[in-house]
Order: sequence, then C-alpha cells, then structure tokens
Amino acid sequence: MGIIEVEGLRYTYPNVESPALKGVDLTIDEGEFILLTGPSGCGKTTFSRCLNGLIPHFYSGDLEGSVIVNGLDVREHATSELAQNVGLIFQNPDNQIFALTVEKDVAFGLENLGIPKEQMIEDIDWALDATGIDHLRNRGTHELSGGQKQRLAIASILAMRPRILVLDEPTSFLDPIGAERTFKVLDALNRDHRITVILIEHRVDLAAKYVDKVVVFGDGLIMNMGSPEDVFLREETRLAGVGIPKLVELTRKLRIRGVSIPETPLSPEAFIQQINPLIQKAGAQFEKTLHPDLEGFAGEHRSSPLIRVEGLSFAYPSGVQALRDVSLTIHKSEFLAIMGENGAGKTTLVKHLNGLLRPQAGRITYEDADIADLSVAALARKVGLVFQNPDDQLFSENVESEISFALDNFGFEKEVVEKRVGWSLNLLDIEKYRKSSPFILSGGERKRVALASVLAWDPDVVVLDEPTIGQDYRQKERLRHFLEQLRTQGKTIIIVTHDVEFVAECEPRIVLMAEGEIIGDGTTKEIMTDVEAMERASVAPPMITKVFSKLSEYGLPGGVVDVDEAASLLIRLKEGSG
Amino acid sequence: MSLLEGLRFTRGDSPIHEIDPRVKFLFTMVIFVSAILFTQLLPLLFILLIQVPLVLIAKIQREWAQSLRGGLFLAVIILVTNLLSIYFFSGRTLTTENLEYALAITVRFLVLITSFSLFFLTTSPDKLSLALDKARIPFEFNFAFITAIRFVPVLADEAQSIIDAQRSRGLELDKGSFFMRIRKYIPILLPLIINSIRRSLELAEAMESRAFGATSDRTNLYELRMRGKDYAALVVVLLALASVLYVRYVFPPFGQLLPPGTLI
Repeated sequence: MGIIEVEGLRYTYPNVESPALKGVDLTIDEGEFILLTGPSGCGKTTFSRCLNGLIPHFYSGDLEGSVIVNGLDVREHATSELAQNVGLIFQNPDNQIFALTVEKDVAFGLENLGIPKEQMIEDIDWALDATGIDHLRNRGTHELSGGQKQRLAIASILAMRPRILVLDEPTSFLDPIGAERTFKVLDALNRDHRITVILIEHRVDLAAKYVDKVVVFGDGLIMNMGSPEDVFLREETRLAGVGIPKLVELTRKLRIRGVSIPETPLSPEAFIQQINPLIQKAGAQFEKTLHPDLEGFAGEHRSSPLIRVEGLSFAYPSGVQALRDVSLTIHKSEFLAIMGENGAGKTTLVKHLNGLLRPQAGRITYEDADIADLSVAALARKVGLVFQNPDDQLFSENVESEISFALDNFGFEKEVVEKRVGWSLNLLDIEKYRKSSPFILSGGERKRVALASVLAWDPDVVVLDEPTIGQDYRQKERLRHFLEQLRTQGKTIIIVTHDVEFVAECEPRIVLMAEGEIIGDGTTKEIMTDVEAMERASVAPPMITKVFSKLSEYGLPGGVVDVDEAASLLIRLKEGSG
Repeated sequence: MSLLEGLRFTRGDSPIHEIDPRVKFLFTMVIFVSAILFTQLLPLLFILLIQVPLVLIAKIQREWAQSLRGGLFLAVIILVTNLLSIYFFSGRTLTTENLEYALAITVRFLVLITSFSLFFLTTSPDKLSLALDKARIPFEFNFAFITAIRFVPVLADEAQSIIDAQRSRGLELDKGSFFMRIRKYIPILLPLIINSIRRSLELAEAMESRAFGATSDRTNLYELRMRGKDYAALVVVLLALASVLYVRYVFPPFGQLLPPGTLI
C-alpha cells in the first residue's frame, strides 16, 4: 500500500460550476520524490490542498472519491491532525512566517500541538540542521533573503515531523541559486530521512535531476506520468504545455539527427558523459572549423542613445545604499535585461527611469534632456513601467475601464481612448474579457491586463519588472513572442528578471548588477559565459551554457546559450567526424 | 505613517531590551499616569527629559526622532487649538500663564509618544505575546495582535508598491481640489484591501497547516522568568511611582516658569 492513495478524486469549489479535479487516481509510495507539473489552472494546487485536508475542512465544496494519507482518510481527520503526517509549503514565504525570529517560527507548529519544551528544542534543532539554516537560528525573520525564508518555511513544517512534504511552487519568488539550494535540501531530506516529497513546480530544468517520477496534470486530470527521462520525451507532455528540461529537449533534437545518446541526461555532467564518445572521436581537430565567429555579431548595430544614466546613487531612508555610482546608456529600440539577485538594486534603478525615485547623486537624461524637472506623469508617458504583481494596480469594475484609467489620467480625447483600449485589448488577446471584472481572471490573465493598461498609451520605452514570476511555460512563450512583436514596432524594452532560461531564449543585452553596482554589461553570450561576474551577481548560467562551458575544454565554443544553436553545433561535430 | 515607525520593533541587545516586558509595561504606565497627573510645564519637561537617557541606552534615538517628527504635526495642532480656545474664551487676551499651559499639554503629548516608543521599540512582539499569555488573554486575541504588528511593515511596503504602480499610470495624488484628491485614493485603497483579504486567506491556510488550534494546551518555547535585574528594575519603577505621588500630593505645587505678564 502506498503512503498516499487517491482514488476517483473529484472536487468542485463552492459557487463554481466546473470541477477543479475531474477524477484523479494516484498512488505514491513512501520515500518517492515526485514532481507534479502542468499549466496554470490545471488543478495542481487544488490537489495539494486535498492531501492535508484543507479540502474539505477549510474549503467546503463538493468532494467525491477518497484520499488516504498515511492510512488516514482526510475527510475524517482535521488539518491540524494531518499536519503531523503531511506538511504543506506554499509559494509566498512571507505569508507563512508567523514569528519574528527564526527559532520561534520553527516552534510555532510545535507549540500549537502542545509539545513539551524539551522535545520541542530537540525537534527545532533537527529541523534547522536538516534544512541547513542552523546558523540563522537567532536571526529576525524579516532580515532573511527569499531563499532563506523558504528554507525556514520548510524547517517550520519539518519540525512537526511529517512523513510527507508537499510544496506548491516553492521557488517562484527565488533567484536560481536560492531555488537550487531549496531543491538540494529536499533531495537530502528525501534520501537521508526517507521523507516522501511532492514538488509542484514550473522550474523543471533545475528540479528534473532530483525526482523519481513526474506527474503531469492537465485540466483536472492526470495526463501522463513516469520517470522524468520518459515523461519529458513524450509527445503528450509537449502538447500539454509543460516546460521541458532544456537538456532533454537537446537530446531529442540530437537523436532525431542520428546522434547516439543511450540514456536521457538530466544534468550537465550526465549529458557530457553521454556524448563523450562523440567528443572523443571528434577531438580537438575540429576546433578551427567549428568555431563560429561569435564576436563579429555582437553589439555593432546600436542606434542612437535614448536614456543616459550618469553616476546615479541612491539610498533609502532606512540607510540601505541601493545604488552606487551607476552609469548606463540605453539605446533606442534596444532590448535590455537587468539581472542580479534579489536586493541588487535592479528595481530601484528602473524606478528612476520614470521619476518615481529621484537621484540623490548623478543625473538621468531622456533624449539629451535632464528628467529632473519632469513630473512622474509626464515621464510615464514616455517610459511605461509594468510592475511584478498585477494585484498592486487592478481596481476597476471591468477590464475596459482598467485600461482606460491611465488614458483618462493623461487627458486623451474620448475617441482616442476608445480606439486605444480596443487596440491594446487585441494586442494582448483579452478582448473577450472587455466587460469582465479583472478580479475573476486567472493570474496570467491579470498580468496581461496590467500590461495592456500600460501599453495602451503607447510609451516608447516599456519596462517590465519580473514578468515571468509565477508564469507557466506557455505563458512565458506567449510573453516572449509578444516582446518580439514589440521590438519589431521599434519599442525599447527593459526587463528586470532573474529568470536565466527566459533570458537565454530572448538573447537581449544584459546588465548584471550586484550590491547596487553594475558589474557586467554585454551581449547574452558575453555575460552568461563571464563566470566570475555571474557568480558575484549570484546568477546561475542556463543549463545549455553550463554544458558548453565544460565542453569548451574539448575545443568547442563555450558561449552557447540556446538549444537550437547547441543542437546544430553538435550535429556539425558529428557530421564532421563522419 | 512615520508616527507608526515608533511602534516598529528593531532587534537590539541593550539592557532595556532585556528587561521583562511586564516591568517595562508597568514603567510605561507609570509615565502615562504621571503625565496625566501633572499639568504644569516644569514636571512634564522633567518627565520627558528623564526618558532621554533610557532612549540613548536602548540605542533607539533614530527611531525615536522619527516618531517625534511624525507626531510633530499633531503636536502643533494641539498647541494651536489650545492657544486659540483660551484666547477666545478668556476674552481675547493671552497671558504667559496661558502659553505655558498650552506648552505643557503639548509636552504631555510628546511624553506619551516617547514612552510608547520606548516600550514598543525595545520589546519584541514575541515577548509581548508571552506577557499577554501570562495575563491570561486568550491565545486567539494574542495571536491576532502579534500578527497585526508583524504585518505593519509588510502592509507599508505593499502600499508603497501600489502608489508606485498607480503613479506610473499617470495618477497625480497632489493635484486637484480637496474632494478630487480624496477620490484619487480609491485606486490605492481598493488594491490594498483586496490584497489584504487575499493574504488573510493564504495566512489562514498556512496556519491550518501548522496545526493552529490543535490543542487548547498550547506550550511555549520561551518562558518569562523574572531575574534579579528585573526585580531591581521593578523596585526602581515602584520607587518612581511613589515619588511621583509624593511630589504631586504632598510636595507644594510648582511655580510658573515664564515670567508673569500679558502677551496680547
């Protein structure tokens, strides 16, 4: 018998017509590490709520079928009772931390269970040690980084000694290094303590190598499941709109062209091992013929400067020095990505571009005119800023008036407003929601409404702060195509992000920031292969680049960021070696 | 908003931070009572100044100054309304005695800000929760109170993000007539309220997952225990209370600081 037995699970939320789960059958054995993936709105989160009894105890609604966890029927046991068997960890670490110090937060669940003090200290010691945050024990919870907060959330659940951990997109708000650490902690818990882990995640590239089994959800049903090597190669998985690990994608492309890769690799090391015969055979003799002229294309076709930032410094009233002597020139029609870990000063920098923040030292010019005298409203006409969380701006009764809000503020004529609203609704493919309330839309749709509400006034520069957070594979693809489309219209685009895989696909100019300074500025290839700068900025290179920086030892070019380029290089290598 | 800065606990390791929250609370109450008992400028100034060394020992002068600055506007209103009402009620004259009285009432306000800052800035909500627990406040209320304190900075950050987002969409908060300006706060208040509701749902889910309410016999990781230092502090506080009462009821009343005379 499995540690989790789900049979014929159907569930409908109260006041909703269509069911969120439409008949799920799943058995999970003790000690398994499961990756649960699927597009947004497919029922993953609903499923996780069923596992610890939030459904049906916290959310009423209509539940059919059975869910047995560690021998307990979730219908008959309260969530507080199930908490000692299955621990649920959520996306936003801020909303699951209750105390002001790390130690006290880990204690919260134990105190609720009425565990005596001596036992409590033992449990806390163990949980802090198992998650590797023992050194943070006496820190204030507000001082922690995002990654540390998420590990604290895991520790706090772990202290109650559950046999099963369920994590609902735990790394959405984390930079790649924070995400990788979180996965390593889960891996160790799974292997050393035989804790069953169910990880709901869009970040398949980093997670794939740790898991035993992948379960793909789609539209309230399990579409597909099996080993990661299997599932990610299947056609159904691709059609379900799920992200495929880049290495699996590369493997598939190479196999089609007859490159022999016996086992599907999930880590750079495994990949290199698999194609080792090919590299050995080809050897360094192909070094000359294979080297494409990478340098020739980079950064030559820049147009005239649009925004100049000169010697910008800024400190918040709290005393945090967010920017130190930053200088940067942004050209017309350029596509720029500002990268760096959380707190590096990325958002502070872009808030200066439309005047939300004013330089404490240095100056900023737009088309050679100092912006110091312009109001935010005047600057916003030129530089449109789209914030990370659409919920920080949506307030209108319907999508239409949400989009006309800014246009009215700027004093456009009535006919122009109408035309612009229609235009931007079409641009983002949300015309069908024109009269809907923005609050009933899904997260991805709300994000598009927020974007439409800014694009409506047709600013020359579009700045997007963390546009990919919480977005699934399809939404990211859609965003990427959309940004391409804006580029062809001559817009200058700036994205602030730590999503390296997304950046690798867009190949913009990258500005790398760390501790309020710019520490790298160049093409995607130049920056992604600058190991030292990337490390200082705590940005991990994309999977493909990791592989090729190792392959460069064999005489292959190191600066490869994209799957197609990688595939064509390796295929040429094969054909060259006969 | 900056008045609230004075309520935001910052971690520190001064002797003031170490004192048992119950003793500290008693001290705050003694200050509160004495500020109410006296109406003359001299004793009120004395009560204000006597707290300054404590602020310095606790190393919270920056935060204290911030909350004083936040309270400045209210202090000016208190001063002006007092002066105006006295001026009109006493037949359009103003003596130095009247001025001193208005100043005393204003200083009383500053005394209260200082004493509350001193308490909240040096008492971690975790410890405060323990004190409330000892006072047999039901845990649900206790928890709600502590959570409210914990989320003040989170809410302030969120309000800032919302203001930034709406200003980026051309909202100009400081333009237009008074009533138009009030209307302009709708795009800020609505997202704030909706986000808070969303957050409270998420918090509730997380609480459930941490076995909230599993047993009525809740245990506590920390315990409040009065140590030697705390008893010493308690004695000092009680002596202070006794001397306040002595000075107020036995000692002859204080004279006026300003020379007698008529201003207007």
